[in-house]
Amino acid sequence: MFGVICKLIARGIRDFGLHPWAQLLTLAAVTLVTFLSGFFLLCFTNLNNELNITHGDVVYQVFWKADTGMELVESRWQEMHHMPWLTEMQTFTPAQALDALLDNAQDGSSNPLKAHAPWLRDRNPLPPTAMLRFSPREADLAAWNKATREYLERLPGVETVRSNPLRDDLTRAWKSFANSVMWPIVGFLAFVLSLVVGNTIKLSLMSRRDEIEILQLVGARNWFIRLPLLITGALQGALGGACAVGLLWLAWYHLKDVLNFSPLFMELSFIPLEQCVLLVAVPALMGFVSSWIAVRN
Amino acid sequence: MDPMLKVQHLSHNFGSHWALKNCSFQLEKGDFLFLSGPSGAGKTTLLRLLYASLPVQRGSVEVAGFDLKKLRSGQVPLLRRQVSVVFQDFKILPHRTVFDNVAIALEVRGLPPLHVDRRVRAVVRGLGLESRIGMLCDELSGGEQQRVAVARSIVVNPQILLADEPTGNLDPDLSMRMMEIFKQFHSYGTTVVLATHSPDLIARHPKARLLRLDDGKIVEANWPGAVIEHCTDDDETCALGQG
Repeated sequence: MFGVICKLIARGIRDFGLHPWAQLLTLAAVTLVTFLSGFFLLCFTNLNNELNITHGDVVYQVFWKADTGMELVESRWQEMHHMPWLTEMQTFTPAQALDALLDNAQDGSSNPLKAHAPWLRDRNPLPPTAMLRFSPREADLAAWNKATREYLERLPGVETVRSNPLRDDLTRAWKSFANSVMWPIVGFLAFVLSLVVGNTIKLSLMSRRDEIEILQLVGARNWFIRLPLLITGALQGALGGACAVGLLWLAWYHLKDVLNFSPLFMELSFIPLEQCVLLVAVPALMGFVSSWIAVRN
Repeated sequence: MDPMLKVQHLSHNFGSHWALKNCSFQLEKGDFLFLSGPSGAGKTTLLRLLYASLPVQRGSVEVAGFDLKKLRSGQVPLLRRQVSVVFQDFKILPHRTVFDNVAIALEVRGLPPLHVDRRVRAVVRGLGLESRIGMLCDELSGGEQQRVAVARSIVVNPQILLADEPTGNLDPDLSMRMMEIFKQFHSYGTTVVLATHSPDLIARHPKARLLRLDDGKIVEANWPGAVIEHCTDDDETCALGQG
């Protein structure tokens, strides 16, 4: 029995070459539909990732007066560590701020900052600063923003507080939108992919009706007839999916830096492995299922 | 002993057209029957009913112990392993080799490859197709394709062999050879039902049973197992076996 099943599976793989043109056209259709789905997924995932990684949080930059004593400032920094929704905090003493500034300045004796570095160290004009990143989960974000800003401004020695509330509001709205539509869109894509792949493979099986009829006439049981056809269908789907992932990688490779310019600096990343697996598994499964539907009667 | 084939009051219609009308006959194991009649007489319909390609509408049919009226879909493959058919249009796979086409009938029975190989080669040799065994069937002539169809039918040693115009595409010499093969096969005890509208073929085999159909009715039979209903054309109740 096991030998017969292995033989039927092998026949399913071998049968792939029986009608090369019909199979090739089906493969092309499956590949293109899967590629389109994958491309949409790639765009959506990148946009979502970009916003999640870089812009989803509220950032405050706090500047103290230059003459404030560091003891007082450091005690405030300790206090600020306990603020709600704080995810990251970077602090700079005047000396650290100057080092960071000099590090980022272009090399060469012609650069005035580098040229006057020793003089600047003696008369450092930079104040102590802190950069605070929050991920607030508040119902009334405007009220939270106002309260946070007032709290920071009231801290002793603080001169200025800067933040980016408008951009944060926009990106937060996108995040909420993306989280609510991401899975419905993925589901819809899988559905469309299933319909197109299923129907294409079902149509390609029409060319093998004679073969099915003959097998029935010589007394083949249903599973004997169906197994090679199901294997061929699944193989067609999987191969189409794999080709689509390959095409998608090529497209990504050539487009990954297309948005990597000022002020976007957005480098496209390839879709995650689980989505790649999905792009192969869904057409394979649909190939299998639609073949089963096609040969059911 | 139960008859190999028992047809009782069999009628079959396609829409308003009655292709078979109240046919009754029976055959024992090892009988050789010519089914004759003009085109449209109902020969092919009767053969299709015998291998369960059409459902039994009226009357009853028993073939090799299977009651076709009560046959479940899962039992159809079992029936078809007892009944082989040679089709008018061959029904072979054009993109597969002669070997594959013949072997398929044994493979569906799950026989070991060595046995399949030996049996296929023996039958193919017997039909003079040895030199063609590795060729694709669409590269063969019509007569050769027909012999492939015959090889596929006899390779499984069926209890009943049905053939629909098996010599229709062959030249006289090849027709004679084909009939010799059927007769040889019949001599092993297989029941053979052969549909033909060739009077010459029938005349050359006077000992065989003959059932002549016309307009769906049995009009002639040369043995007592067949029932000829003498109904007038306008007596439909009698003609359809309801009287």
